Amino acid sequence: MEKPRVAFFDFASCEGCQLQVINLEEDLLKVLEAVDVVTFREAMKEHSDNYDIAFVEGAITRKSDEERLKGIRANAGVLVALGSCATLGGITCLKNFHDQEYVRKLVYGDKASHYETYPSRPLNAVVPVDFKIHGCPINRDEFAMVVKALLLGKNPEINNFPVCVECKMAENICVFEKGMTCMGPVTRAGCGACCVTEGSFCWGCRGLVDDPNADSQREVLATHGLSVQDILGSFRLYTGFSEVAK
Amino acid sequence: MELQLIEKSDHDLFVQNLINNYQVEGVKPKDGSFIYGSIKAPEELCLDFDCTLISPKKYFLPPKEALLQFALTPDSEITPLIENDPFILFGVHPYDIKAINQMDRIFARGVPDPHYLQRREAALVIGVDPTAVAPRSFWADMGASTVSEGFDLMFTDMGEHFIVEIGTNRGRNLLEEHAKLKPATTDDARERVRIRSRISHICKKRGFAFPKRDIPKLLEHSWNNFLWEEQASKCLSCGTCNIVCPTCYCFDVEDHVDLDLAHGERIRRWDGCLLQDFAAVATGENFRETRASRYRHRFFRKGHYLFEILDDLACVGCGRCASGCLPDIADPVNLFNKLKEG
Amino acid sequence: MNQPMLEDSPYLPKWAEITRIEQLTESEKLFELRLVSGEPLGHTPGQFVELSVMGIGEAPISVSSAPAENGVFELAIRKIGNLTTAIHGSVTGDRVGIRGPFGTHFPVEEAKGKDLLFVAGGIGLIPLRSFIRFVLDHRDDYGEVIVLFGAKNPSERIFLYELEQWGNREDIVYLDSVDKSGPGWQGNVGVITTLFSKIHVDPSRTFCIVVGPPVMYRFVILEAKAKGIPDRQIFLSLERKMKCGIGKCGHCQINHLYVCQDGPVFRYTDIFDLEEAL
Repeated sequence: MEKPRVAFFDFASCEGCQLQVINLEEDLLKVLEAVDVVTFREAMKEHSDNYDIAFVEGAITRKSDEERLKGIRANAGVLVALGSCATLGGITCLKNFHDQEYVRKLVYGDKASHYETYPSRPLNAVVPVDFKIHGCPINRDEFAMVVKALLLGKNPEINNFPVCVECKMAENICVFEKGMTCMGPVTRAGCGACCVTEGSFCWGCRGLVDDPNADSQREVLATHGLSVQDILGSFRLYTGFSEVAK
Repeated sequence: MELQLIEKSDHDLFVQNLINNYQVEGVKPKDGSFIYGSIKAPEELCLDFDCTLISPKKYFLPPKEALLQFALTPDSEITPLIENDPFILFGVHPYDIKAINQMDRIFARGVPDPHYLQRREAALVIGVDPTAVAPRSFWADMGASTVSEGFDLMFTDMGEHFIVEIGTNRGRNLLEEHAKLKPATTDDARERVRIRSRISHICKKRGFAFPKRDIPKLLEHSWNNFLWEEQASKCLSCGTCNIVCPTCYCFDVEDHVDLDLAHGERIRRWDGCLLQDFAAVATGENFRETRASRYRHRFFRKGHYLFEILDDLACVGCGRCASGCLPDIADPVNLFNKLKEG
Repeated sequence: MNQPMLEDSPYLPKWAEITRIEQLTESEKLFELRLVSGEPLGHTPGQFVELSVMGIGEAPISVSSAPAENGVFELAIRKIGNLTTAIHGSVTGDRVGIRGPFGTHFPVEEAKGKDLLFVAGGIGLIPLRSFIRFVLDHRDDYGEVIVLFGAKNPSERIFLYELEQWGNREDIVYLDSVDKSGPGWQGNVGVITTLFSKIHVDPSRTFCIVVGPPVMYRFVILEAKAKGIPDRQIFLSLERKMKCGIGKCGHCQINHLYVCQDGPVFRYTDIFDLEEAL
């Protein structure tokens, strides 16, 4: 069987998700035995437009990105969105809540006129996306799971239950009991509740579950002292592109 | 009933002897709460705790457990897997033992499940009477203050010493081999009864406003009660109540394949009936689509469905669900009392 | 405690070899299988197996054939999820895992000497075919036989060759209908219940066996009752999520019943008042 040809691309992002792929280390070598990586700017010089699977990191933040993404979509048999910028729009969508001209000047200063920008959006706002690997950054194990599933010809099974499930299994004290607040109850699991396990709280980087009880979550956050503005901010941090945050 | 006595000053020696000879799992503090974990030194073992974050069911039905190992090549052998090395589970409260006893019956009835049963058989369970009551516990009202079986040894903290009840011959052998014992007198036995009833009395502050044996009947008339909808409107479908529950044992089964794509394992992992896709099938049909139907299912399962199988309520009153539920709708005491009110 | 041995793990599949594959419709294939050990599957019509492709997963599938002397059995499978897609990609000679058979079965013995009214909706015909074929194999053991089959549209009709055969037989009544007509369709159009006005049954001696999508049951049961068929002579097969097949994993629970063990075939009187069943 011919090895599937795999390419990595990025749009507006920190490229941290591709770094996670490189950080697979030993496992990466095993993955590489099963596939041919033909394009991976962060890890190699070669480049090819002949590929079967495209992993695309980053959000679409300007009109001209759309053409490039459509080109990738046309070349790829399978397009996988890599990380929350690509799957949700992620934190790049924070700029959508400001005047775009203001944002452009804030970032580019007196060179603003040289750079185009428009409200940020996830990949699937521009092209059809086959599979999403959520996270900021992605979870390496989940990436490996998706690669394996694709190689076996099956649809990767992405969790549709909240982080609380994994957090309880990790035997963490509930963040709310520690006097903080947390987006875990509405956020899609798959990270093993790593942030809570490390003493922080869930920021919601993997996006919302399919049917989040946003009203109840807002009420829980309010009960634990967050203002309306804070609550909105909690939802907007990663899922600003979704209806829930508007 | 056979009772022995271990001086507190001799207790560390006993634990150390166990550690020298067995894998010992017990209760340890974590961030102001308690969890079960590996005990490497006597001073790590905590016996005065109110309640652990999740129940010791994780030792018999692990959150993720490989059932089978296989190669992806045709004709290859499929091997059932299990880790059944003997170990000691030290410090299980009676309500959690009651839950384990229920799980034992579930996994043994009908087609027995050797993956569970062999792990269970490999464990020496050392129970301990509670010295503190968690704020949401109501085990006394659930008749789980004491248990008569399901433990090899049962410890009670008497202040200067522990009284140890011998539950099984395995327990007796363990004790005789590794502990410095004194005979317990009838006075000690009486004192143990007093201590138990004192802690039980504290726990009784929470409970049902009606006899708990009425719960199955109550549920029979409550299917269409407005409370399901009203309470479940706040349900986050986060599954916390399922995961922390000592009598929840539902699981999902899935295949995991190694990166070489040549070998894999079939694993089971905890599932929860509150989760959105719990009853959804591949065709897209979801047999419990609404939050209310899932929320109601949990209470019916604990208070009615499993009652018909176990002849006992499948709730032991640990209160973990109640303290873990952020919108505070999972507490059986609150819910059943509200249902009773009508 | 008497410990069951791990070798007896109820999760351990037996290997079966695919001996024949037939494309039934665009999305359905029929797989004929034989256990590699040579032993027969040993099922009774109405039971199901857990089918595995190692590395992909496992799913419950109804057995579609009558128990056969040559030891083969048939599974008709719609391509819908990962497991069914994987099996659709296999070829004759490939091996798959089989656990079971599991669950209750149709009243093959009880209905002997009695009349049978089979009502199948869509892929409900897959499990029902097992019983129908059993009855046709033992035709003299049963009285009058009526088969009603309804599909959403003509292209979703399965086992076409057999449907035609049944239609041509003198010793059974076969009627079918589609909810929505399509190219070349000249038969009945309308939901399956519309067929009931075309049949006559002797209710006291009729067993009505119903398998179809969840939404169908209520309406078909009303029709069966209207014909005077006693409740206890109505049987149906329920679909639920099933992972273990042995009443442990909890997914298929309806009240105190586990569909994988106490079902999938239920007598109507045993479940008519159970919430969530129908």
